[in-house]
Amino acid sequence: MLGSTALLLPLVLWEVIPRIVTLPRGVRLFLATPSQIAAALGRLVASGELQQHFTVSATEFLIGLGLSIVVGLPLGVLFGRVAWLDDLVDPFVTALNATPRIVWLPLLILWFGLGIWSKVLIVFLGAVFPLLVNTYEGVRNADRVLVNVVRSFGGSSWQVARIVVLPGALPYVVAGLRLAIGRAVLGVVVGEFFGASRGLGYMIASAASSYRPDVMFAGVLVLMALSLVLTFSVQAVEARLTRWRPEAAKTF
Amino acid sequence: MKPWRRLALGTLSVVTFVVTWEVVLALVRWDPFFMTTPSHIGTALREQLLGGRLWRDIGVSAEAFVVGLGLAVVVGIPIGLVMGWRRRAAFALDPLLTALYASPLIALAPLIIITAGVGLGARALLVFLLAVFPFVFNTFAGVRCTDPLLVNVVRSFGGTDRDLYVKVILPSVVPYVVAAARLAIGRGLIGILVGEFYAASEGLGFAISRFGDTYRLPEMFAGIVVLAVVAVGLTSGVRRIEASVAPWRAGRR
Repeated sequence: MLGSTALLLPLVLWEVIPRIVTLPRGVRLFLATPSQIAAALGRLVASGELQQHFTVSATEFLIGLGLSIVVGLPLGVLFGRVAWLDDLVDPFVTALNATPRIVWLPLLILWFGLGIWSKVLIVFLGAVFPLLVNTYEGVRNADRVLVNVVRSFGGSSWQVARIVVLPGALPYVVAGLRLAIGRAVLGVVVGEFFGASRGLGYMIASAASSYRPDVMFAGVLVLMALSLVLTFSVQAVEARLTRWRPEAAKTF
Repeated sequence: MKPWRRLALGTLSVVTFVVTWEVVLALVRWDPFFMTTPSHIGTALREQLLGGRLWRDIGVSAEAFVVGLGLAVVVGIPIGLVMGWRRRAAFALDPLLTALYASPLIALAPLIIITAGVGLGARALLVFLLAVFPFVFNTFAGVRCTDPLLVNVVRSFGGTDRDLYVKVILPSVVPYVVAAARLAIGRGLIGILVGEFYAASEGLGFAISRFGDTYRLPEMFAGIVVLAVVAVGLTSGVRRIEASVAPWRAGRR
């Protein structure tokens, strides 16, 4: 009740205030009321422009995220199980993980141009490390007692992996996926800001620079809605898988 | 775990990587517009650090980063505390802030830069927007995870609300805030970079994107190396603090 009030109140104020008070011209240039934004959204959908941009962004997002899952999960398991390999790659993983991957964008645009591949790769770079690091942590935190039990009963290391390590790592992987989705959306948007001629990020940036705040906010709104849906569906899966974990461990 | 072995193998792989890169490019023909070698990057880095404007760019970026992050601390922690103390505040703010945290606020960058200009304000605001939510939610979680036993002890011995806050709640919040700082630093660096890529006339992000646009790859890589050193330094510094205030969480990268 209180929560929905706090959600709706800013929207109502946003709609009403510009109608009552005459705002300075500078502010009006950048402001669109919710009704104007809805109208712009309607126009964008009717003309098919939104769908076109959405398709491009979604393609970049899906290919990039898919690649990062295909690469990140096996590598995370591998580095988690094989200690010397972990030692070898540690400096690279730490440095790349700590540095915002957006920094590679100018280079990727230089190498791969303005088509979708530079964005696919920036999405991949952004999303692969949360997945890799979380999978790694999950594998490393495998229950020693359970591992020993399987070993004692003559289980092979494949069986150890299948029976103990992978199920134990699953909640970590899902948490990694949630982070990865956030990074992937960021990669798509920022990548399209700077080097693209299509996509939702491009739509937002070009609307902003041509002073069409209604179109810009419409784009922002679509992006927000999409990432909320994605994040909360992963969170629902996560909550189901991590019911057994203590509260403190869940917050991050 | 053997730390010396980790260090030795790590050094070995970094050295192998750099040497391979250098040797392969010495053997094959390469286009200086699209490739460069570690030795060229090293030279560019030395020149930039000694005579170039790299220090200035670092200073400009650092200023916006510190201002934005400081604001995030000053605003985020009180909001988190209030949400943790007052059930009603939590009910009211949680949906709104959760929705904002989960949405890509970076999409607002064009708007912020067009309204607030290319100066310090816009970039600090971007950093703030990205960095504030970890502080809010971690402080909130820290208050809620206060040990109820300790609260009862203070109450039973006639402690006031003030005793409760100062002696129990605040200390239990500290590790959460430190963990938030680690997340916020990463997000803040993204804010700085995007702000400076998008529109700026100085700063580390601006330098990196300008050198990229003008095909000066050694200088661009020099900028990336500086950023990586700063990022790793900050992150491992916070991790060290985290290890001393919250040893149970120190294992995570």
